[in-house]
Amino acid sequence: MKRILSLKVNGNSYEVAINPWQTLLDVLRNELGLIGTKKGCDIGTCGVCTVIMDGKAILSCLTLAIECEGHTISTIEGIGTAESLHPVQKSFIENGAVQCGYCTPGIVMTAKALLDENPKPDDDEIKDALSGTFCRCTGHIKIMEAVKKVSQPEDEEKSNV
Amino acid sequence: MSDKFSVIGKRQTKLDAPLKATGRSQFTDDVVLPGMLHGKIVRSNIPRGKILNIDTSKAEKLPGVMAVITHKDSGGVMVGPDQQLLCDDMVHYIGDEVAAVAAVDGDTAYEAAELIKVEYEPMPALLSIEEATAPDAPILKQYYEDNYADDLNLNYGDVDKAFSESDHVREDEFISYPSHNCFAELHGVLADYSLPGKLTIWTPNQTAILIQKGMARNLGISESNVRVCSLNTGGAFSGRGTVRPHHLIAALLSKKASRPVKIIATSDEEFIICRSGGKNRLTLKSGVTNNGTLKVIKADHLYDCGAYVETQFIMPTIVGATLQMLFKVEAFRYKGQLVYTNNAPYFFHHGGGLVPSQFAFGQHLYLIAQDLGMDPVDFKLKNAFDKGETTLNDTHYASCGLKECIKKAARKSGWNRKYGKLPPYKGIGIGCGVMSSGGKGMFQHDTSAAFLKIAEDGKLSLFTGLPDMGQGSHTTMAIIAAETLGIAADDITVISGDTDIAPYDVGAFAQRGTFTTGNAVKIASLDAKKQIAKTASEKLGVKPASLIFRDRKVYPKGAPDKAISFEDVVFDTLNCMEGRFIMGRGFYNTPTTKAALAYSFGAQIAEVEVDPETGIVKLLKMTVAHDVGRAINPLAVEGQMDGQVFSGMGQTLFEECFMEGGQILNQSRIDYKLPRPYEVPEMEHIIVETNDPYGPYGAKEVGEGPIACNPHAIAMAVSNAIGYTMKELPLTPERVLQAIRKKNRIS
Repeated sequence: MKRILSLKVNGNSYEVAINPWQTLLDVLRNELGLIGTKKGCDIGTCGVCTVIMDGKAILSCLTLAIECEGHTISTIEGIGTAESLHPVQKSFIENGAVQCGYCTPGIVMTAKALLDENPKPDDDEIKDALSGTFCRCTGHIKIMEAVKKVSQPEDEEKSNV
Repeated sequence: MSDKFSVIGKRQTKLDAPLKATGRSQFTDDVVLPGMLHGKIVRSNIPRGKILNIDTSKAEKLPGVMAVITHKDSGGVMVGPDQQLLCDDMVHYIGDEVAAVAAVDGDTAYEAAELIKVEYEPMPALLSIEEATAPDAPILKQYYEDNYADDLNLNYGDVDKAFSESDHVREDEFISYPSHNCFAELHGVLADYSLPGKLTIWTPNQTAILIQKGMARNLGISESNVRVCSLNTGGAFSGRGTVRPHHLIAALLSKKASRPVKIIATSDEEFIICRSGGKNRLTLKSGVTNNGTLKVIKADHLYDCGAYVETQFIMPTIVGATLQMLFKVEAFRYKGQLVYTNNAPYFFHHGGGLVPSQFAFGQHLYLIAQDLGMDPVDFKLKNAFDKGETTLNDTHYASCGLKECIKKAARKSGWNRKYGKLPPYKGIGIGCGVMSSGGKGMFQHDTSAAFLKIAEDGKLSLFTGLPDMGQGSHTTMAIIAAETLGIAADDITVISGDTDIAPYDVGAFAQRGTFTTGNAVKIASLDAKKQIAKTASEKLGVKPASLIFRDRKVYPKGAPDKAISFEDVVFDTLNCMEGRFIMGRGFYNTPTTKAALAYSFGAQIAEVEVDPETGIVKLLKMTVAHDVGRAINPLAVEGQMDGQVFSGMGQTLFEECFMEGGQILNQSRIDYKLPRPYEVPEMEHIIVETNDPYGPYGAKEVGEGPIACNPHAIAMAVSNAIGYTMKELPLTPERVLQAIRKKNRIS
């Protein structure tokens, strides 16, 4: 039987009727129309569907929507737009960290959660945070660079020298 | 160079990156149509057997089920010459399509699929090349005399004479195991065949036109009645070039239910339907002189193509041709045979089948260099092709940066300081590769068409049938048009991905995009330029030929002060008394009977560290040199290099499908080991530009060339580190440990 669920996503409040077994991923995509969060393997192995809940990067395919009531969720649509990009999005674009783009929203959200908590991560901390993500196109090389450049902008590097 | 070009050679960010980074790009699963149903396929759970009965009655009665289909509904539709769409009397692998359902939601479709009962009579299955080629093996396909699905024999020069004249002859056998592409976006399709006469499908692909042709041919309808919409594609890597059973099944379900039907593979299904490269057994025998001149190569290649040939008929051609295109030889013989088994039909993994053969070739050459006591870099330089030379299969190299790549990679990586001088369990290796920029012969022709129109504000719409699967081809095409017309890349909107709108283009494979479609776009841009030049020449009072188009301006050569804006000239052309509308048209079909006119070359040097306790290999650094002819967009070139190094490293070091009884055991992205951020190596990019005379602005491919060098370099580095040359791929920790033990026993 369906239940009424109140969700807070990207600062907006939603009320939807869902089945208790529906995942947050399915509710975001199919009930709220937030298709920026992509569905990858749907079994928690690829990180494509990552969103941020209460400041932590989580896999929306392994999270039941019914558990999300009372929590604050943010998705790729909520952090920036093409006109007003989030610094992580801007850095991904400028550093060539986007290729096919399927994994991009999930990796951007993972990187944002890391940088919100730890604005100056070292290489190992970045690798650790991104270790659950998966990109077949870029080889993660330019993704690493992009995340590093958000935390250490070049002008800052120069001023430190 | 910066003076010569105003757009080419700059680090251009991808035009579609802002949409992708903000979650605004759409992929197949993002499309939802009114009344859309969800499909699910019922697959064989045995590797070989007779179908005794299919009972669909319970599934049909389940509320919410709108269509159920079996072979009775497919009306003899074939996927390929050896493959029925839905099996009628026999199944040939675990995963073979037997029936399908469409229902109002995914849960109902799953439940209905479970309710379909198929009775089988299992038959002995052949699960390896060895079993399938044994003299008393049952024949898997009734209309064949044995289990060889296809073969290719190449013979150039006098092989026997060349061997007899060689000072040293060496023979080695190499084996590689199946691997998987693991696309970020799983296989999927949305088909709308609800209106009679027109089938529309959305599916990730690397060639809309071949999907369109395949759908029309297999369903027996006219090509113009099939519309393929591509949207974005979450990775393709040689594996999304043809019509697959799920495309046709979705179309038939949609026709039967008169509603659109979407089928998206599950994670474990993904491993069943797209195994990306079967087991290879490659025996290489070569002859050399004492001074290190390679004289002759002989290759015997057996390849497990699985239950159906699908795309793999092309595999021997790629492997066979490539083995004699990198280094000069007097004579060459190749015998390639595809073998039917009851494994899943194999598809290409990233590298178009070249990772296994380049691994084998590289290790073989390394063994020869060691036999001769030669430095592998010197051995490669001695035998490498040069510009202007022709291979045994009559392929002419109008540009060739192979030696330059080897020398630059060796210098940059400090080869001379390192090779033979590293501490135990550290190693260095060099790999080389060659790749065609085009695939003539794989198709009837290799045509790309392009057209463009320009609006009053000077902004351009460029229409192309070339898909962008992430490699940045649309941005590359925009740069070529922008350079030709003297505007900026972001003045251009690339319109693609819909066969009703986009012009003909064979697609994005055989590394043909930059070269073939790039030439078509350049021709279309020159056509438009001529039309604009007419107006500008009237306004400026000079001949059209003496006009310069640059930085959104048009001016007489040598007189930039007289410049008029590109936008104004376009406005005047469109709004003159004749109302001349600017339309650029171009097409290019590589004028050759060979695979291509341009070939790219590369060299890579890998530096690795092996843990002798665990056998785990860490790729520390990769120095990548690639002759791209001209780097249209260096940022995208580096992106291609990075992705291929990473993917090649995965295939060389980790990626393997573990098979048992025809079943893949590690069918998830955690159980199937693939590289992740922890494995990121240090990268050194060296772009070599040889300005190919046929390429658009001198450009050649970079789409698969780097990965051809890769297994060669990494496997040699590992072998160098442990002092034992490994002959099985991938070099998993287990195999590396075994090799270390063998080496310790020998020494």
